[in-house]
Amino acid sequence: MDTIMQYAWLIPLFPLLAFVLIVSFGRQLKETAAYLGIVAAAISFVLSVFTFWARFQEGAIDYKLPVEWLQIGQSVVEMGFEINQLNAMMLVIVTLVSLLVQIYSRGYMHGDERYPVFYQYLSLFTFSMLGLVISPNLLQVYIFWELVGVCSFLLVGFYYFKPEAKAAAKKAFIVTRIGDVGLFIGIILLFWWTGSFDYSVIFNAIAADRLEPWMTTLAAVLIFVGAVGKSGQFPLHTWLPDAMEGPTPVSALIHAATMVAAGVYLVAATYPLFLASPTALNVVAYVGAFTAIFAASIGLTQRDIKRVLAYSTVSQLGYMMMALGVAGAAGYVAGTFHLMTHAFFKALLFLAAGSVIHAIHTQDIFEMGGLRKKMPLTAGVFLIGCLAIAGIPPFSGFFSKEAILGAAYSAHRMDLLWVGLIAAFFTAFYMFRLYFLTFAGERRGGSAEAHESPAVMTVPLLILAVLAVVAGFVNTPFAPVLHQWLASGSVGAYIAEASGGETAHAALWVQVVAVLVSLLGIGLAYLMYVKRSVAPDLLVRPVPWLYQLSYRKYYVDEIYHAVFVRPLRWLGLFLNLFDRYIVDGLVALLASATNGIGALHARLQNGQVQTYGFVVLLGLVLLVAGFTVLGGIPNGQ
Amino acid sequence: MIFDVSLPLYLLIALILFCVGLYGALTKRNAIVVLLSIELMLNAVNINLVAFAKYGLYASLTGQVFTLFTMTVAAAEVAVGIAILISLYRNRDTVNVDEMDTMKR
Amino acid sequence: MQVSGTFLAFAVLSLLTIGGAVFMISFTRVVHMVISLGVTFLSIAGLFVLLEAEFVAISQILVYSGAISILMLFGIMLTKHDAKDEGVSKANKGWLSILVVAVFFVIAFWGIQSTPWVAPPDNAAAVQEDNATQLGVEIFTRFVIPFELTSVLLLVALVGAIILAKKEEDNE
Repeated sequence: MDTIMQYAWLIPLFPLLAFVLIVSFGRQLKETAAYLGIVAAAISFVLSVFTFWARFQEGAIDYKLPVEWLQIGQSVVEMGFEINQLNAMMLVIVTLVSLLVQIYSRGYMHGDERYPVFYQYLSLFTFSMLGLVISPNLLQVYIFWELVGVCSFLLVGFYYFKPEAKAAAKKAFIVTRIGDVGLFIGIILLFWWTGSFDYSVIFNAIAADRLEPWMTTLAAVLIFVGAVGKSGQFPLHTWLPDAMEGPTPVSALIHAATMVAAGVYLVAATYPLFLASPTALNVVAYVGAFTAIFAASIGLTQRDIKRVLAYSTVSQLGYMMMALGVAGAAGYVAGTFHLMTHAFFKALLFLAAGSVIHAIHTQDIFEMGGLRKKMPLTAGVFLIGCLAIAGIPPFSGFFSKEAILGAAYSAHRMDLLWVGLIAAFFTAFYMFRLYFLTFAGERRGGSAEAHESPAVMTVPLLILAVLAVVAGFVNTPFAPVLHQWLASGSVGAYIAEASGGETAHAALWVQVVAVLVSLLGIGLAYLMYVKRSVAPDLLVRPVPWLYQLSYRKYYVDEIYHAVFVRPLRWLGLFLNLFDRYIVDGLVALLASATNGIGALHARLQNGQVQTYGFVVLLGLVLLVAGFTVLGGIPNGQ
Repeated sequence: MIFDVSLPLYLLIALILFCVGLYGALTKRNAIVVLLSIELMLNAVNINLVAFAKYGLYASLTGQVFTLFTMTVAAAEVAVGIAILISLYRNRDTVNVDEMDTMKR
Repeated sequence: MQVSGTFLAFAVLSLLTIGGAVFMISFTRVVHMVISLGVTFLSIAGLFVLLEAEFVAISQILVYSGAISILMLFGIMLTKHDAKDEGVSKANKGWLSILVVAVFFVIAFWGIQSTPWVAPPDNAAAVQEDNATQLGVEIFTRFVIPFELTSVLLLVALVGAIILAKKEEDNE
């Protein structure tokens, strides 16, 4: 099975091939273009599974194939691919979710006139994401990092005729770009200091203490800035909820399961760098923790079904970051574990929400209700997703969340533990508020007749639902398979060695409290929105500003608008005037000066032969007079 | 005081003729007069050539031969020039040099 | 004061030459100009005789005083019969031309004056009595190729002049 890893580079190639084919023949293919994308994703998925399986064999070593690309002085820049435990797992997640989303989209996008274009973008995205995952060096990561950013931009702006979608696409692109600049600087600094983009070279340099502590911290924090942009962490989270303007399958694939997790993946992939710097780890932990609770508190009050899910995504990503910020193998494993389970249940939730939107053509949860009777299957899988994200045993979210809390607990980070618990309570509350408002009770508005979605959409939902249930069992406290497996890879082993990581699981009371807190959230939501024995505006009435603060997302957008956008616009206006009147003025001056000189010379060309003759004579006389005065032709002596 | 004919005197005559011709060629409006002025300049050169043939450091007949050539070329030039003038006059009804500026447009 | 006959002849001829040229410039009627230029050409022929270039002098009379002057008269007759030169053309300020020409004259004059002319050695004997024979020998030996080229040039000029001056019949 070892040989399969040599062919791992084929995995991203099939979606690329599909992309090229759909670009070439999209017009003729019409809706059959979907099969191309699906088949390509399926082949990639099968290959990924084989690769993943190969990683489970005894003594599987990290496979790496570098190809020299550039030589700059002494340093060689390489391209190639690498297979290790972490990215083998990511390959499976990405190809699986991509495959399911593409199948689902056949139903969701049916009848759209830009149907082939949609699949074209999806294939390109799948290719870029897979390329990002198997990159062995940071430069290649950066290239694919930008490619997924472009795909995100294209897909968010897929309905480009809607002004909101256009604005959201631009916002997504520009805000993530801020993070990308940080990442780029970080990569360049690392190359400057270590002479290589390669992960392993950089890790060796760190292990050998060749970098000053401040260098490590700076590079790690800059890389984390890139992750902050991509993963929608505070303060660059604002683009992610707006990105929900894209088609719902895109939200599921890019803005829930894969691309936004790329930031978490990047931190995990460069984890030795972070391990070397406690400061950087703390930055990661606190930014993650703050994002987790901050986004969760916004999610409590949103009215748009996709926005609730978007804030929940931001919150969960914060969770993962927080886990990674907890030093040690436990945090590393917990973060990546949650990344995996989250990919499944959040994709499930988004696709189920898409199914609802597809049926009743509205996204406002206060216009829904009672959909359980009309859409039993969707309601069922949505409930599974909610239970998973709320962390109710035995669903997958329970195990991964428990791993995170356990890591925080065993590292004696009580502050992080409490933040995690509160965020878990919020999460459980708003997810079930969403569920009850959507599926329970009676229909409150909207005219469209609800109906169950076609099989092409429900089958992927069912598969994801199964995964959302069982994915947690790969790393239970009793059998930490994933932990041991991750720790057996070279990077994992290094982390385990550096942090002396034993399988850290929380004390029993932490687990009990976590579940209780979630149940409390669910119960509160039930009482408020189903039994109505607790008024939903219980808290709103005494402190209305709190509700407003949450509903308006803490006015972050408004603050950014006032602090960054408005001054920049003024600057742009000023520069525009500068350009128009000063730069253009100079150009116009130059042009008119040239014109004037030309006109002057045109006057000389008056067609009068005698004038020409006169000028010739004048020149001759001046020449001869000059030589006469000088006393002859100077012969260079 | 002996007045004798010498090379500088011939050269001076030629120079005066040349300058008069030059002035005429540059200022006269009538194209025929311009042609005449050019003939004058050519003749001034001829005088120089013949004078050098007699008084020059390497006196020889070469100067006279060249004078003959100059005459031939001048004759050809006048013939073609007059032909051009007649053709121009037929087309534009003028022989004034300052009205012959169609090359400008 | 001793005046040689040669000098006297030279003085008269040069006066006629320059006078003819100056009159040519100052006359207004073109026909008069041509006639005064004819005087100049004839005087120049005289100067050639003084310079012991008899063949050239004869050629001068034949070509210039004869052919070219007559050609000019024909040119005048075929264009404007009583053409007058309407003075200095607009294109140039006359005084500016005079100035520049004067400067040129001064420079050239200074050049003539300041050059130390060396008399040819007596034994040069280049110019002999039998001038025409020698000239003929020179032309048909040393200068035979330029001579033949000149004949070609004349032929071309002849044909060109005919074509240019011919009425464009196909246009009518």
